[in-house]
Amino acid sequence: MQKTITKTLSVLTEDATSAWKALNGIICIYKPADVSCHRICNTIAYKISNELNQMKCRPCSDYIQIEGDPIKHLTVIRKENLADHPLVVGPRYDQKDVRCTWSNYLGFNTSGILLMGLQNGTKMAALIRSNKLMRSYRVKGLLGRATDNFYKDGKVVERTTMGFIKSHHIDHLLSSMQSSHQRKMFNATGVDLQSQTAYELAVKGQVRPVCSETPILYGIKCVDYKPPEFTIEVQCVNEYEMYLKALIHEIGIKLHSTAHCIGIQCIRHSYFNLDNALLQKHWTLQHIFDNMEECRKIINEHENLTKNNAIVIQ
Amino acid sequence: MLNMLLQRFKLFHNLRRLSHTQSEDLKQSFQTNNATCGEEHLPSDLQIVDNQTKYQSVLEECTDDISHVATYLKPTFNFAAYINKSRTLQELVKLNVDLSVLEKKPKVVPFILKLEFEKDVKNHVIFLSELGVENIGNFITKNPFILKEDLENLKIRINYLKSKHFTSDMITSIIPRNPIWLSTSTQDIDSKLGFFQREFQLSGKEVRALAVQQPRLITYSLQHVKLNTFAFKEEMGLRDDEVKSMLLKKPNLFMKLHTNLLKTFEFLHKKMNIPIERIVEVPQILTCRVFRIRQRHLFLDTLGRAQYNPRKPNYVPLIGLVSGSDVDFCRDIAKSSVQDFNLFLKSF
Repeated sequence: MQKTITKTLSVLTEDATSAWKALNGIICIYKPADVSCHRICNTIAYKISNELNQMKCRPCSDYIQIEGDPIKHLTVIRKENLADHPLVVGPRYDQKDVRCTWSNYLGFNTSGILLMGLQNGTKMAALIRSNKLMRSYRVKGLLGRATDNFYKDGKVVERTTMGFIKSHHIDHLLSSMQSSHQRKMFNATGVDLQSQTAYELAVKGQVRPVCSETPILYGIKCVDYKPPEFTIEVQCVNEYEMYLKALIHEIGIKLHSTAHCIGIQCIRHSYFNLDNALLQKHWTLQHIFDNMEECRKIINEHENLTKNNAIVIQ
Repeated sequence: MLNMLLQRFKLFHNLRRLSHTQSEDLKQSFQTNNATCGEEHLPSDLQIVDNQTKYQSVLEECTDDISHVATYLKPTFNFAAYINKSRTLQELVKLNVDLSVLEKKPKVVPFILKLEFEKDVKNHVIFLSELGVENIGNFITKNPFILKEDLENLKIRINYLKSKHFTSDMITSIIPRNPIWLSTSTQDIDSKLGFFQREFQLSGKEVRALAVQQPRLITYSLQHVKLNTFAFKEEMGLRDDEVKSMLLKKPNLFMKLHTNLLKTFEFLHKKMNIPIERIVEVPQILTCRVFRIRQRHLFLDTLGRAQYNPRKPNYVPLIGLVSGSDVDFCRDIAKSSVQDFNLFLKSF
């Protein structure tokens, strides 16, 4: 916790037009729980357009008017074109002008790292999404109670005892789950697990599913156990919120008890970790630009973010 | 979305003739034409064309000024098409009225286009500036229909306030902060002031203080106020005198959404164990959003500083908990660094 982050902030230009043109790329933000991704997109777009409007914007265009009697003398007058005035046509930058999408969708109850593409960066965001990079989650569960939607806000449907569960029970269960997932992956490639080809596959890197429907766990372990709460860390691909909630429920049942999820946090997305993420209070233009620069460096360093060369299950 | 656009399109389509006859330039050219033709009454569009064709054959060269003869404006979506020709709109822009906001309200657009600056706007602006309204543009943007009201009516409404012992200082503080007040009839204002007096057992002086502190509450939806009063009395379990003291200290509470108030109250009362009496003492804490209180409370909790009892050492004032930026909070209340607080926020 003693780690202090000192960042040199670049000085933001006063001109809104140049700031608008520079606004292309990926940003990494910290999504709070109980907010949807759509809403975060809208918030970011609103903040950006609002701040751009407060900067020096484009002046009104000219309005040329010809006055006088056409037979005698005509004078050409150049005036400010009021039809182009911000009070008449509205502010220069509108919220809807900012294109903004996420590269990995996080569910409503999930908090943590959310990569977002701004303007032309939305293409990059789509590319990162299609590459199915690994994400790490920290999922918290509470033993002893099962709810109807596997989450803490649901109705409690079952109560069980949990005093007999020790930390090594959870470790044992999780390691067997991890190995079964790994075996599932190699089975899907169609090679014998004891063969040379399987070894060569494993050397090349992680085996990834080609479709985006089947969730696959690469690693799962318990990082904290304070009965009745426990925290597991999951590395996975293609997961979705309900899958992780159901995972906790399943762990509860396998431990001969019940459990429900009390929190999901995405702590890592490929090469982006919590240090890069922008907190809600820092969603301002200045911080967004700094973060964009930081993310650009990471993307340039690791070409497998945008170029897919891992082994896929056909 | 599409429906809204269509509606606006139709509206401007119907109104496009209006601006044509409104334009000052055109009026002047009508008058000059009138003089050359030697006719006494003001000619209509058709007559002008008739007069020109009466004396001239089409084969002869035209020497008259016909530059004013132009097609009507094409149907349009917004005020921008009219602004360069209409003096009224130009004057409104000079007053800082945001026409882009007004054009989104379908009822306002025909009303604004029919206005004439000298006749309909000027006196109202003078009247408002005498009342102490500094930002008239903002005032008209918020309530354009103030221009519809008769000046005599407005004077009667001011006199009503004076008759209720509002001093002129009070009036100059009320009117600019609530643009809708002057558009409300004296009967309505009277019944609303009466409602607050009856509902919360206020004295005359307290009603006036309430109106000065938050003028918007008086013209606010009474149903909303009743709903919030219900939430305070029945759902939070406050006594009548406690609700009254909250109303006088922080009237804004009665304009907030009651579900948000309840969420904040529940967190304060159940998670932070703050007694109701303490919350009533600092009612502004209820306007704070839950996530902000939760973040700061949990941070103090991990540091072991979450101590809200004023009788014990290391007491954290509730106001200090919610007010100020994160830097101030970390320095003064948490006695920690912002970096630590930011790291803590990323663990939620």
